[in-house]
Amino acid sequence: MSDIPFKNPGWAGNTGEFDLTEDQVRGDDFVGVRPAHGGHASGAGTMPFMLAETNPETKLFEGEYQERFEKILTRYPDKQAALLPALALAQELRGYVSPASMDRVAELLELSPAYVRGVATFYTMYNRRPVGRHLVQVCTNISCSLCGADDVVAAFLRYTDTELGETSGDGNFTVIEAECLAACGFPTCVQINSRYYENVTPAEVPKIVEQLKAQSQGDK
Amino acid sequence: MAYPYVSDKEVRILSKHFGDPKQRQIDTYVERGGYKSLEKALAMGPDDIVEVVKASGLRGRGGAGFPTGIKWSFMPKEATKPHYLVCNADESEPGTFKDRELIRWDPHQLIEGCLIGAHAIRAQHVYIYCRGEFFETTQVLARALEDAYAKGYVGENILGSGHTIDVTVHAGAGAYICGEETGLMNSLEGRRGEPRIKPPFPAAVGAFGKPSTINNVETLCAIPHIVQNGGEWYRQYGTEKSPGTKLFCVSGHVNKPGNYELPLGFPLIELIEDVCGGMKDGNALKAVIPGGSSVPLINAEEARACKLDYEGCVEVGTMLGCASVIVMDETADIVKQVRRMVDFYAHESCGQCTPCREGTSWTAQILRRIESGKGTEDDLDTLMEMTQNMVGTTICVLSDSVAAPVQSSIEKFRDEYLALIRRGERVGAA
Repeated sequence: MSDIPFKNPGWAGNTGEFDLTEDQVRGDDFVGVRPAHGGHASGAGTMPFMLAETNPETKLFEGEYQERFEKILTRYPDKQAALLPALALAQELRGYVSPASMDRVAELLELSPAYVRGVATFYTMYNRRPVGRHLVQVCTNISCSLCGADDVVAAFLRYTDTELGETSGDGNFTVIEAECLAACGFPTCVQINSRYYENVTPAEVPKIVEQLKAQSQGDK
Repeated sequence: MAYPYVSDKEVRILSKHFGDPKQRQIDTYVERGGYKSLEKALAMGPDDIVEVVKASGLRGRGGAGFPTGIKWSFMPKEATKPHYLVCNADESEPGTFKDRELIRWDPHQLIEGCLIGAHAIRAQHVYIYCRGEFFETTQVLARALEDAYAKGYVGENILGSGHTIDVTVHAGAGAYICGEETGLMNSLEGRRGEPRIKPPFPAAVGAFGKPSTINNVETLCAIPHIVQNGGEWYRQYGTEKSPGTKLFCVSGHVNKPGNYELPLGFPLIELIEDVCGGMKDGNALKAVIPGGSSVPLINAEEARACKLDYEGCVEVGTMLGCASVIVMDETADIVKQVRRMVDFYAHESCGQCTPCREGTSWTAQILRRIESGKGTEDDLDTLMEMTQNMVGTTICVLSDSVAAPVQSSIEKFRDEYLALIRRGERVGAA
């Protein structure tokens, strides 16, 4: 694998057999900018790109997000089925899923707050406390583990200056271990907010961390 | 070609356009012959489509290998209640990364397969359940679906046929157990993703209590090709009991990991040494897991005898599963990797069944103790006995999946466990 030139750290890049840009590989050039109202209803409930700025007090829901929520409701035979997409929308806006958010979603879907607690606590992606601006999830499951994932975790902890599972002092990074992210042919895979970073080695970690620190706006 | 490496041993049917970003554009897809199969299928009756799929011998590509045509034939022949087709894109089995590639390079192939499948089972709504971590992948699919709606391939009166089929992309929220078909249905309904007891089977009581069929992404991606070319055409590849091609996800200590589409029955050793460019750094092969973390490990000798189809893997004491080939060389620390896999299962257990809820964490605890050098030989007996109690005693097979790596590694790599127990020595480094 040493003869593969990677143009940028963290994407399954050019192997020499394909001449592709990062946008082409990720599909960014095909998808374009995602509208806040969710686009066509068939895809409105998909996990949104995480917003750069979140506010724990944002109303659930109003404006374009209300429009998106209503589109989602039309795709299922009952309101309960919209629970996972609704919690995801709440997390997109508010940054994490608090008890108040769960209660509000329960109210919108005519479910009991206790029921929503039960569902929200089942899934790992609902953050029940605030996380850093960049949630760094390093896969340490078997395929990545065989290829040095533990060293990648150690490198992230070192360069973000934080402990495993904790948020860094500057509020920029939370580093956790993740289960298999389904990119096993590109070890080690790291998911940072909504982006997959692939073929990450400890040597590339400082560059990735610098890039993230420099990002002030836009796609998280 | 299978991204990111190409091999001339491949038979590129599903993965033909991997690495070609233009394939996502609906105009390109149609230009290349896309949605012709859908047109043909809509003119056929549902039962005729089921016959073609049965004739092809296609087996479910999600891991169980159940014949797809037969699964479809379980659905009621009259839709007195709404029928649902659910596409399982909750790819979470360690070692597996084919569905992500299929969706992000050729989303229309999946959409077309879903539409044909829905027509075959008299369903009017398809849910594509994608795992929540697939942010970017899901966006590619959502955009492709939007284009397909705009051009009239999805929705009301498709291509003037009078048939209406809707497709919705539903995102999960991080739970391996939602890849289990009944757990998936519960998650789709807005519940905890806990598996259900079968019977009743999904074809009787499924999503929202209605007759449903759940199929894997790769299975549905094969459908347009089968309907277009016929069942016999598909049987020219593979073996008699395992016809067709399969995407093999190779990871671990090989030079060229990635997806490779090969006819079933392909020799495992040729996959490793030829197609994947051989072992990394020329190290010796120690162990292979041919089907994702839920199947038994095999040692190098068994790997040399292993043919990659459903029967061939059973012959060497393992299973094909979802064909996720994890290759371990002499530097691999078997005990550590087994412990990591069991940690995964302990984390992902839904908690309903005592043998799984208690067994996964207890097994992980014992393995940690062994790894730290404080294990005993009795621990190995405890592990064998306890994992045996986890087989066939639970609602779903996550529990059985723990037994596979633990028992096979103790049987075949006992010396590594003993090195830690007797001398506190680790055999491998990775």
